[in-house]
Amino acid sequence: MQRRRYFLSATAALPMLGLFAGAAQAQAVAPDAAKSFIQQSGQQLVTIVNSSASDSQKADQLRQLVDQIVAVDQVGDYVLGRYLNVATPAQHTRFLAAFHQLLSYNITYQIKAYQGITFTVNGASTMGNDTVVDTTITSPGKAPVDVGWAVDEVGGTPKIVDVIVAGTSLRITTRNDYASVITDNGGQVSALLSAMKSQIAKISGG
Amino acid sequence: MVRLIRMKDKMRRGAKKGLYIGAPALLLATLLAGCATPPPVSDTADYQAYEQQNDPLEPTNRVFYNVNDKIDRYAFKPLAQGYVDITTQPIRNHVGNFVTNIGEPARLLNFMASGKPRDAGTSLVRFLINSTVGIGGIFDPATALGYPETDTDFGLTLAEWGVPAGPYLYLPIFGPSGARDVLNLPVEFFATPMEAAPASAALSDFGYAETGVHLVNTRAEYIQPIDQIQATALDPYATFRSLYRQSLDSQLQQIDKADTPTPPDWVMRPAQ
Repeated sequence: MQRRRYFLSATAALPMLGLFAGAAQAQAVAPDAAKSFIQQSGQQLVTIVNSSASDSQKADQLRQLVDQIVAVDQVGDYVLGRYLNVATPAQHTRFLAAFHQLLSYNITYQIKAYQGITFTVNGASTMGNDTVVDTTITSPGKAPVDVGWAVDEVGGTPKIVDVIVAGTSLRITTRNDYASVITDNGGQVSALLSAMKSQIAKISGG
Repeated sequence: MVRLIRMKDKMRRGAKKGLYIGAPALLLATLLAGCATPPPVSDTADYQAYEQQNDPLEPTNRVFYNVNDKIDRYAFKPLAQGYVDITTQPIRNHVGNFVTNIGEPARLLNFMASGKPRDAGTSLVRFLINSTVGIGGIFDPATALGYPETDTDFGLTLAEWGVPAGPYLYLPIFGPSGARDVLNLPVEFFATPMEAAPASAALSDFGYAETGVHLVNTRAEYIQPIDQIQATALDPYATFRSLYRQSLDSQLQQIDKADTPTPPDWVMRPAQ
């Protein structure tokens, strides 16, 4: 049953701020600093999600917030993984643009499901190069979800680089997802870009 | 139901009926297996990626993934949705607790077999407390008393013994598994308290009902996350594969973490 909860939690975290990944050149953040950063960021997130604004307004606000608190470019590079060396500079630029867009669409998609969430910061610990802040997210009618936020210092400020739920890392999951698209298409990064493009079209159309 | 069956936990219940369907289908899968074509060894990076993926039966696995996906879409998900409509989260939690409790003896055996005395003791205490004070497992007072659940299964026991995970398998009905973890199915089939009781029609009916309720209850918990993955992942098959493997690794860590021995009172402790 625990395993089921693990998986459930893992998948439930995707909607929260899915698809963030890590920064290679990031530095460790002190646990207390990471906690207060997550406390503030979480509060901002909850305020937006629980506000009475329209879905499109919320999407705009969330996109801005995500750009502030998440190291999206570094995340994107981590997700691209070894294909970073395969991609041409133009492909890399297109990838990051699509990644930003996909992230905001994914968040938009999730907004409706997360009305009335509350957010508690439990503690912080150092794991490898990251400082992971443990939180519990509760929403009405759903089981509470324990979510870990990996924080690194990027460009002098703390940023979220991964979301970890019971040992499952979203940056790794996303990297595997994207890598699968590339390997199934003969190692072509262009296939990933096409898939991202059609995904954006699909979600924005739906 | 597909992905819902991804956790061992689900396999355990589904084993009852699904074994008969799954075993021949698996054999068929193996015989007819469409194997992925590995990249040339000379292409180091691609070959390493292929090895790391460890999914040589991917074409066949994807066929079963698609079949399960259809079954889920047209049968299990609507059923789970209907179940959610007529139940509340507390009810679903109680159902979950009940099913967890029935699985506790199997966990006890697996912890013993994998040499985890603390985990085994916790499992035993949980079963005793929850079956009595917890009214047959409907409530989970053991967790509040300091005995939280740690899950395990035979696949994880084999992992503790050093058996490698082997290639990834996506089974008909059961969903994500692996060459090692597939051995869960026959073991879990027998490792329930119901098997220890004398056979009777009523007991069989109970077993089927429990299996059915468990599957629906579990699928109900997954409605939103599964929808989300299907809507946002570029390749849901690969995403579920990744989550399954990470979940296994995490569970192994959890088992070790929970097995920290507590020194008895008579052990000398340094002065505070």
